[in-house]
Amino acid sequence: MDKLVQELKEKIIATLDLVDLKSTDIGDHDPLVGGELGLDSIDVLEMVILLEKEYGVLIDSKELGVEVFQTITTLAEHVQKNRPQVSA
Amino acid sequence: MSARRAFITGLGIVSPAGRGCAQVLQSLQAGTIGLGPLTLFAPSSKGAYPVGEVVDWAPDATVPRTHALALEAATQALADDGRPPEAIVLGATTGGLPLTEQLLREGVRDPARYCRHGTGTVATYLAERLGCTGPVYTVSTACSSGALALKIALELIRSGQVSRVLAGGADALCRLTYFGFGMLQLIDPSGARPFHRDRAGMSVGEAAAMLLLQAADLPPPGAQAELLGGGFTCDAYHPAAPHPEGRGAQRAMEAALADARVGPRAVSYVNLHGTGTPDNDAAEARAIHQLFGSPLPPLSSSKDAFSHSLAASGAVEAVISTLALVNGLVPATPSCQQPDPDLGIEPVLRAKPADLELVLSNSFGFGGNNVSLVFGRPDRKAPARAAPAAVKKLAVLGSACITGAGHTAASLVGLKQGTSLGGVCPLAEVTAGLPARQLRRMKRLPKLATALGSRCCAEAEWAPPPAAIFVGTAYGSLSETADFLDALDDSQQEFASPTDFVGSVHNAVAGQLAIRFQATGANLTATGEDDAFEQALFLAGQFLPSQEGLGLVLGVDEAHPLLTPLVDPNALADRPADGGGALLVGLAEERAVATLAPIFFAASATEPEQVDSLLAALGGSERIKERFAAVLVGMPISRRSAARPQLARFLAASEFDGPVIDYRQFTGEFATAAAIASVLAVALVGEGLLPSGLSGRADLALAGKGILLLGLGASLSAIEVCA
Repeated sequence: MDKLVQELKEKIIATLDLVDLKSTDIGDHDPLVGGELGLDSIDVLEMVILLEKEYGVLIDSKELGVEVFQTITTLAEHVQKNRPQVSA
Repeated sequence: MSARRAFITGLGIVSPAGRGCAQVLQSLQAGTIGLGPLTLFAPSSKGAYPVGEVVDWAPDATVPRTHALALEAATQALADDGRPPEAIVLGATTGGLPLTEQLLREGVRDPARYCRHGTGTVATYLAERLGCTGPVYTVSTACSSGALALKIALELIRSGQVSRVLAGGADALCRLTYFGFGMLQLIDPSGARPFHRDRAGMSVGEAAAMLLLQAADLPPPGAQAELLGGGFTCDAYHPAAPHPEGRGAQRAMEAALADARVGPRAVSYVNLHGTGTPDNDAAEARAIHQLFGSPLPPLSSSKDAFSHSLAASGAVEAVISTLALVNGLVPATPSCQQPDPDLGIEPVLRAKPADLELVLSNSFGFGGNNVSLVFGRPDRKAPARAAPAAVKKLAVLGSACITGAGHTAASLVGLKQGTSLGGVCPLAEVTAGLPARQLRRMKRLPKLATALGSRCCAEAEWAPPPAAIFVGTAYGSLSETADFLDALDDSQQEFASPTDFVGSVHNAVAGQLAIRFQATGANLTATGEDDAFEQALFLAGQFLPSQEGLGLVLGVDEAHPLLTPLVDPNALADRPADGGGALLVGLAEERAVATLAPIFFAASATEPEQVDSLLAALGGSERIKERFAAVLVGMPISRRSAARPQLARFLAASEFDGPVIDYRQFTGEFATAAAIASVLAVALVGEGLLPSGLSGRADLALAGKGILLLGLGASLSAIEVCA
C-alpha cells in the first residue's frame, strides 16, 4: 500500500505539472483538491484519466470522484480495491 | 451626432434542426430535437453519444466544413439584399480544424492543403466569395464567439463606420471538440437536457448562423428585428468552469440591458445559454434570479433541440430570438420534462404564441467569457443615443515584447545593432522571474502571453492592473492542440488531456490573463490571419471608452515545430520565429510613454483604391510628411506580390521620403509580428531616435515626429505611434 501511495504521488506530480512539489509535500491525509496543493476540477479530470489509463480504474461519477479524491490515501485504497486482478 | 440603429434585415442558418429560417421555424414550433448519431468520424471504443450534425447536406468539399457552413448561412442572409456587405464579423473557434485533423492523420505534409486552417480564414473566405472589401474581423471567445461578433457589429454600425455588416458564427463538428468535451465529462450520454433534474451535460454540435445588420434611424424595409444592445464581461475565475454564483453572467446581462436602455421588466423572453451541464445551468439560474427577482419572464434554452454549436451558438440563438419576435413565438426546451427544483427555473416546455417585445439572449464560454444580447421588435420606439466616440488615440502606459533575441531590452539592443530579432526565444528565458506555480498547465503560447502581460504591466507599476483584455493570436495554442490530437491517436481516441483541451481554445490566454489581473471587464480574442494583432488593437479602440479602467492589448503566436510551417503560409521552415508584444493602454495621456492611434483597417484589399482610402484616413500627403519620421511596414512573405504595389502606391501618393522599414526582416515571419513592431515603435518614439541599425541610414532624431505602422497584403492597416 505504501508503495502504491508513493507511486501515485509521483505520477500525480508529473501529470499535473506540480513542478514545485516533492512527493513528501503531499501528506497522506491532506485534502487533495481545493486545499493547499491548489488542485481544481481540471486536475481531478486529469487524475481520472491517469487512473483509467494506468490502473484500469474507472471514476465515472462526480459523487464517486468526491469520495475517491479526498486524500492520497483514499485514492490509493480505491485503486487497490478496484484495479483488475492479474490472474496468476 | 446620434447613433444609428442596427436593424436585422437578413437571416441565414444551417443547423442540426434545419437549414434556412423556414425549416428552423418549423422545428421551433414542433419542438424537434436535432440530435442524432455521430457519422462524421469514428467515436472511441467506449461508445458514442448523440451530436448535433447538419445532415442531408452535401457541402462543398473543396473547403473545410466550417467554411462551407458559413458560406451557406451567409448566402441565405444576403439573399434579399444582394449587395456585398461592407464589413464581416465572425465568431469561430474550430475554423479549418475538421480538415486539418484529417490531413494530419493521413500524414499529409503539404502546407497548401492546410491553407484554410486558421479560424480567421473562414471570414476571409466569406469576404472573398461575397466581395466584401471593408473590415473583416474574427473573434474567438469559445462558446460566446457568435454573440460577441454581433456586439462588435452593433458598435461598428452605431459609430457610423459602416452601414451593412454581416455578422454571426460558424463551427463544424470536429474530433477536438467532440472528444475534448468528452474528456471533461461534460457530455450527457442521453442528449442534452438543460435545467433538467437529471441533466448530465451538453450535446456538442455544429452550425453556422449569419445576420445582416443594417444601419438606419428608422426601420428599413425588410427589418425583422433590431439589435438593441449587448454586454460582455469576463468571470476572471476559472479557465473552464463558470463562476458558481454566475456573477460574470449577471454583469453581462445587466450591461446588455443598460446598453439597450431597458430594464429587466421589459424583457418578454430569455433565450438562456443553458448548455445542460450541471455547473452552467446552476450558475446561470442564480444569475437569472439575481437579475429578475420574481416573477421570471418566460425562458428556455435551445441547446437540446439545436445542440451546442460552440462559436455558432450565439448567432444561432440570435436567429432564434429574431424568429421568436417576428412570429410571436416563445421557443421551448422540449427535453426539460422534470425541471431541477433546486434551480427554480422552469423552461417553456412547448413552444407557445406570445406577443414579444424584447428578447434577451445569453452566451457564455470557456475563459469566463460572457456575452448577452438584447433584440427588439423593429417598430419599437428607441430612445435617442449619442454615437459612441470611436477612439482615435490610446495612451500607452507600459509595453513589452518577446522576440528571438529575448525580452524588450535585448530586442532593442539587437534592433540598434541592426541584427535580426527573428527566432524562437527559449522557454526558460521567456518565463524568467515568473513563479513556477503560475506557469503550471501552460505550454508555449500561454507562457509567452503570461510573460508579456506581466512585464508590460510591471513597466507601469504605478498604474492599476488592466480591467479589459484584448488578445490577437492568429493560430492560438498550437502545442495544446497538437498534443491533444496526438494523444487521441495514440490511445484509439480514449485518452487525451483535459488540460490540453481547455488550453487549446484560442481565448485560453485571454482568460488566463483575466484571472491573473482580475480583469472582469471586456475580454476578447481576435484571430485574424496576419492581422490578428491589428484586429485586437482596433477592437480595443472601439471598446475601451465604454470600460472603466485600463486595457491590455496583446499580440502573440507560437512557432510549433510541426503545425506552424503547415498552417501559417508565411512561416519559414528553416527560420522559425514567434513571440509577440503587449501594451497597457488607457485614455488619459498623463504619464503615457507614447500614444497609439488605430486609424484605418480594411481587409481583403484586392482593390488598389483601398490604399487611397488609407491615405485619406491619415489626412493626406502633407499631414503624413509632417507627422511621421519613419514608416514601419509589415509585408507577410506570402503576400508580397500584393503588398509591393500597395506600398509603391502609398509612397507615390504620399511623397513620403523618410526611412521605410520592412519590419518582418527584423521580427522574423510570424502572424502577430505587428505586435512586436508596435512595441518597438513605442520604444523608439519614447527615445526620440531612429537608430542607424534599423534604417540603414545615419541615426535619425525623430524631432517630435512619430512612426507610422502600415500593415499590407491581404488586409490594410494604419496605426500612428506618436510621442
